[in-house]
Amino acid sequence: MAVDTLMMAALVLIYLAATLIIGYLGYKKTKNSEDYLVAGRCSHPVIIALSYGATFISTSAIIGFGGQAANLGMGLIWLTVLNIGVGILLAFVVFGKKTREIGQRLSAVTFPDLMCKIYKSPLMQYIAGFIIVISMPLYTAAILIGGARFIEPTLGIDYTTSLILFAVITAVYVVFGGLIAVMYTDAFQGTIMLIGMTVLLALTLVAVGGFTAGSTALTNMADLVPKALADQGMTGWTSMPALGSPIWFTVITTLVLGVGIGVLAQPQLVVRFMTAKDNKSLNRAILVGGPFILMMTGVAFTVGALSNVYFYQTSGKIAIDAAGGNVDAIMPLFINQAMPDIFVVIFMLTLLAAAMSTLSALYHAMGTALVCDLWGRGKECALSMKAHQAGIIIMMVISTILAFLMPISIIARATVMFMGLCACAFLPAFAVGVYAKAPSTKAALYSMVTGAVVWFLWTAFFHAAEAKPLGLCQALFGKVTLLGAPWTAVDPIVIALPISLVVMVALQVQAGNAQLAATAA
Amino acid sequence: MILGIPDPQILLGYGLAIGLALACIVYGWLRWNEAEGTHGR
Repeated sequence: MAVDTLMMAALVLIYLAATLIIGYLGYKKTKNSEDYLVAGRCSHPVIIALSYGATFISTSAIIGFGGQAANLGMGLIWLTVLNIGVGILLAFVVFGKKTREIGQRLSAVTFPDLMCKIYKSPLMQYIAGFIIVISMPLYTAAILIGGARFIEPTLGIDYTTSLILFAVITAVYVVFGGLIAVMYTDAFQGTIMLIGMTVLLALTLVAVGGFTAGSTALTNMADLVPKALADQGMTGWTSMPALGSPIWFTVITTLVLGVGIGVLAQPQLVVRFMTAKDNKSLNRAILVGGPFILMMTGVAFTVGALSNVYFYQTSGKIAIDAAGGNVDAIMPLFINQAMPDIFVVIFMLTLLAAAMSTLSALYHAMGTALVCDLWGRGKECALSMKAHQAGIIIMMVISTILAFLMPISIIARATVMFMGLCACAFLPAFAVGVYAKAPSTKAALYSMVTGAVVWFLWTAFFHAAEAKPLGLCQALFGKVTLLGAPWTAVDPIVIALPISLVVMVALQVQAGNAQLAATAA
Repeated sequence: MILGIPDPQILLGYGLAIGLALACIVYGWLRWNEAEGTHGR
């Protein structure tokens, strides 16, 4: 790195000190368990929007998906369309307001608690809590590893110490300050992310001679698409892959639909709706949330794709070759080579902010799920702040151990896997729960379990990206996946979510008919 | 070719992404003071 290490370390330390001070302010405002769990149900709209956006956008959205755009092209802009259309507009307008109203009326404090109270089913709370406690540490471990890899070279400390420091510093303000501290620091971190991505876009456009000149140059590079990608359907960086090709399935089903829809039923995001005082707050949050997400993913995908032009003009190589074949190395390499030193520092802080904001939300969601939804469900202790603090510490330790133990090939898929599982297991039951007049508990339970099981089966035995590193199919059947192309490229969400939805709707209709018959009799 | 991009699907994606972000601003602006469902503590 060309940047002075001392300056970088000083700025990172200032950033961490500011984060801890803001976390302390959140701690001072936390007086009771409702403050700790749902930020007192009176968060400011801008805080809600920035917290939701910063939690939503992790380092992998900028580095991982930006790198994917460099590799696969501008087609990823369709993920931004879904991120805003589904992740903000649909989430806030259709689900957010209802979630807030019901959450407030039923005094729900976590996502599983909300589902339990809507469906009047403790079993629902146990299952939802169990899914969160089992799956969320994997996603958390991925965030921890990304943060530690950043801290290691920046502060010049070894990887193990970096990972433990990152885990503990973030946990400190979550444990003491609860959701108020998490949302305050999220807003601060979201502001840093916004500044970082705005500067990144401006400097990239300067580097490639403007958007039109850069896109034209990128279009003219279509014949440089690697043969392996061209054989699988890639047609260039400014055009969509060939319809129905393996690359098309990867871009559309895994990257666009998998992540774009997966965001709707993520427990740590749903809780943000329950922190709003009224629907006016959510309306105002939408005004900030949409442009924020555009500036995060839209910029990452555009810059990622245009980095090919920069690398080709300066080194005669496309981005993936310049990065030695490592998709995750493209964005950091581009920043280091194309940006002024001071921006390298700003961007590195942007990445740290993105990682910490997501990590803090996951700690809070996991800890409260462990205490409120599993261990202390229905008991008075489930609302004890001390119990939740212990729960957050336990889940932090488990996630940290996972980060050391899990193979990196699995961790790299964690974001997509977690979002897919949440959508398949929770989305149909959540959607019907907040809208149906008499939601069927049986339908929701069957839908949730079916969604989770089908998602797991497709992940372990059919979708090559996960089945290969998991190795379960290889161990049981002697082959990587049970079916060949194109099924190996079809994301689990495309299979499991419709099945979960059909189960939900069919049993909900059946329950409605039975109720009508009973009323008539 | 518009803005250096030959594929209408990519252009449509950019148009929708920017359009939806603008829609968020307009929605929030128009409903800035809409107070339905106010049950704050």
